[in-house]
Amino acid sequence: MNNKKARAFFMIPYLTWIILFVILPILLILWYSLTDSNNHFTLNNFVTFFRNGTFLRMMLNSFWYAFLITLVTLLVSYPAAYFLTKVKNQQIWLLLIILPTWINLLLKAYAFIGILGNNGLVNKFLQLFGIGPVNILFTDFAFMFVATYIEIPFMILPIYNAIKEINPAVIQASEDLGASKWQTFRYVLWPLSWPGVESGIQAIFIPSLSLFMLTRLIGGNRVITLGTAIEEYFMTTMNWNMGATIGVVLIVLMIIVMLVTGRRQKRKKVNL
Amino acid sequence: MRKNSIFARVYLSFILVILYIPIFYLIYFSFSSGKNMNKFGQFTLSHYQDLFQDNRLLAIFLETILLALLSSLIATIVGTFGALAITMVKKKAQKNTLLALNNVLMVSPDVIIGASFLIFFTALGFGLNFGSVLLSHIAFSIPIVVLMVLPRLNEMDFSLIDAARDLGASGYQVFSNVMIPTMLPGIAAGMFMALTYSLDDFAVTFFVTGNGFSTLSVEIYSRARQGIDLEINALSTVMFLFVLVLVIIYYFLTKRRVKKGKRMIGGLIK
Amino acid sequence: MRLVAIFIFLGITMKIIELKHVNKRYDDGFVALKDINLEIESGKFYSLLGPSGSGKSTILRIIAGFTNPTDGKIYFDGKDITNLDPAKRQINTVFQNYALFPHLNVFENVAFGLKIKKVPMDKIKAAVRDALHMVRLDGYANREISELSGGQQQRVAIARAIVNEPKVLLLDESLSALDKRLRKEMQFELRAIQKKLGITFIFVTHDQEEALSMSDEIFVLNDGKIQQNGSPVDIYDEPINDFVARFIGDSNILPGRMIKDYEVEFANKKFQCADAGMRPNEKVEVVLRPEDLDITSPEKGKLVVTAQTQLFLGDHFEIKAIDADENEWLIQSINGCKLNERIGLYFDPEDIHVMRLHESQEDFDARLESYEGDDENE
Repeated sequence: MNNKKARAFFMIPYLTWIILFVILPILLILWYSLTDSNNHFTLNNFVTFFRNGTFLRMMLNSFWYAFLITLVTLLVSYPAAYFLTKVKNQQIWLLLIILPTWINLLLKAYAFIGILGNNGLVNKFLQLFGIGPVNILFTDFAFMFVATYIEIPFMILPIYNAIKEINPAVIQASEDLGASKWQTFRYVLWPLSWPGVESGIQAIFIPSLSLFMLTRLIGGNRVITLGTAIEEYFMTTMNWNMGATIGVVLIVLMIIVMLVTGRRQKRKKVNL
Repeated sequence: MRKNSIFARVYLSFILVILYIPIFYLIYFSFSSGKNMNKFGQFTLSHYQDLFQDNRLLAIFLETILLALLSSLIATIVGTFGALAITMVKKKAQKNTLLALNNVLMVSPDVIIGASFLIFFTALGFGLNFGSVLLSHIAFSIPIVVLMVLPRLNEMDFSLIDAARDLGASGYQVFSNVMIPTMLPGIAAGMFMALTYSLDDFAVTFFVTGNGFSTLSVEIYSRARQGIDLEINALSTVMFLFVLVLVIIYYFLTKRRVKKGKRMIGGLIK
Repeated sequence: MRLVAIFIFLGITMKIIELKHVNKRYDDGFVALKDINLEIESGKFYSLLGPSGSGKSTILRIIAGFTNPTDGKIYFDGKDITNLDPAKRQINTVFQNYALFPHLNVFENVAFGLKIKKVPMDKIKAAVRDALHMVRLDGYANREISELSGGQQQRVAIARAIVNEPKVLLLDESLSALDKRLRKEMQFELRAIQKKLGITFIFVTHDQEEALSMSDEIFVLNDGKIQQNGSPVDIYDEPINDFVARFIGDSNILPGRMIKDYEVEFANKKFQCADAGMRPNEKVEVVLRPEDLDITSPEKGKLVVTAQTQLFLGDHFEIKAIDADENEWLIQSINGCKLNERIGLYFDPEDIHVMRLHESQEDFDARLESYEGDDENE
């Protein structure tokens, strides 16, 4: 009896939050995507989205860029995370890697306006080799470069934790059984560190769809991703119904991506 | 072995250099007398003078901190309640539904959260001001608090509660003397995360803030969109030092716990 | 393989591993091994026995190739393998906590080494089947590691190692995670597997019973040095020093003095003994095993003690007693006694083991050799 009362006491504020800030916003965004500006039901928004080549291209672009950002971040971060488990004073190294994440993202993005500019650090460096000045700022490349820069620590951390969890004897067992360094990585280290890689990918792929501020500041103020498009429709052109439609498409795509990546392969049985 | 470890340190140093170049680039030019970040003019502290005389920026700075403290406090309370409620639910299906709903905001892109909250506040006729931003920050911080507290409760030895009951403790006493102390590390971690979520957020705030209220992130964004302003560089330096001090304090506070074999440093990351 | 079998059959053994002047100092300055020299012959069961920190695991890791010695050389079949990768050694290891691959099932774990060597699948299947049969895990191929008990995981770890047909199998405290009954069972089984395969096993343990019951030869280690090596019987009967005496079996160790050949004084009395070749009046230590002490009447006893505590352990009594000089005595006897009763202790001269202080293994062996010579003369 007492337990039930206690449960209700704890449940009410939490459930209120779920209803107001989880369920209701989803329903509202869905509602907006299915209505026009006069609150009449319509499927026109979706028809526009899928008929219009610009939207479809933008959709592909968004996922392609998010994929590239995630991939490059992974390629840079995995070795870093692995080496991090090998060095002395790991806590200090970790601290140094985490510290930049505490600096406001907008400040870091702002710094790149200077660094990537025509007279900035990168072009000065290129001039030493007689190249340039190259126009880097306000390109798609600049957007991806800065996004990767920002995400690196968020990839290093989960992978580091996953590798740290691996029993070192398992690696030795692999070498003991004749595996080369590469084979040990391929068949033991990589599959065992996969949970960390997976959570790193999740921590980067989805947020990189919403980095509209980077496309605004670094990517040259052009609408190149779905995130930017949503921001454009809500904040600039004030066509909320179209913005909500893009949002719904994004949500559905994300759910599909998660379902596909979340599926586990079943192991084949052997008959001896 | 030796060679490997040297290579490891070289690679890690390279990563660190990349990570810190933008920050030090900002700091370097905050002392430059020019108008841009291309060429260092003369050494000057004038940007710092501007910064400390910029009343609007100082007000925004204080409001941002107030917002973070308030939202993380409320989110921690509601989130802890939520974790308790979830543990008390016995049916597996109900529990999983609650957990799934809890994680919706964790996996949603910020723009979607921002846009849907904007619709939500407008639909309810709620004005866009400090209140809407505060509610949004509370809303997106709750799930992380739940996720931080929940493992503590799952690990909790429920015979402790029986033992306390057996020793004559009332329901409230069990809660305050047994449950709260067990949850405390989780609560602290959750509050810490909520604080960083709030301080770090730009996208959601950008959607739900009206004309009357701005956070530091939004302010930096709108200034940066107008081009380079070395006052922002000065602000970066100040914030970097601020973070540095915080992290050093955090490091020494947790150092003893780290020695006991717990990895606390991971808690520093968003 | 057949050649090895013939050698074993003829009682001829070959030196397969040799460590020469191996030292190991870790980065933090800890000296784990001091000038280790040992020879391992093919087809035998060896134990490296010692307390934790004695260096036994370091020796194993050096043989396996996970650790390089600070100096010294390791030879395998006469070839220097000091700097060879573990992957390239014909040696496999059964790890302390098995180190099974948690993401692979039983079959994939056992097949791992063969897949790496690109053995055709049908051959892999046959080899895995045989290996699982050897460790009595027929029918477990498709199980997940997490579904197995500790004992079963242990067997998978052994199968995973032996399927590669190593010439030497290293076992690192491999039974320590099992409960007592299972451990006994695995001791018999390990010994049986070793006999069947005819390869060398090197077993690291801190458990003297385990070492005594399974091994052909034991190396007793302490402080990074080999204290004594020999057959279990030799080491039990003739410990070289008080460390070995204390570490292997229960012992009563007393300070004493060699009066002359075959006569030693301890506990303020003189006794006939079987040891000789020491300086007159040389200070020595005397070991008496508790099970060699018989309880008799005070008149018949060579020593008189007072019983203080007595435990009945099923097949014998364990009695603690003190003598007139307050020396403690541990007695294991099939007969009990009354507490606080004066009892006599009887033992034969050969039950007295005299140890010289700081005697090297060479001198020790030579001395023992000379007694055997005496026996033949008599």
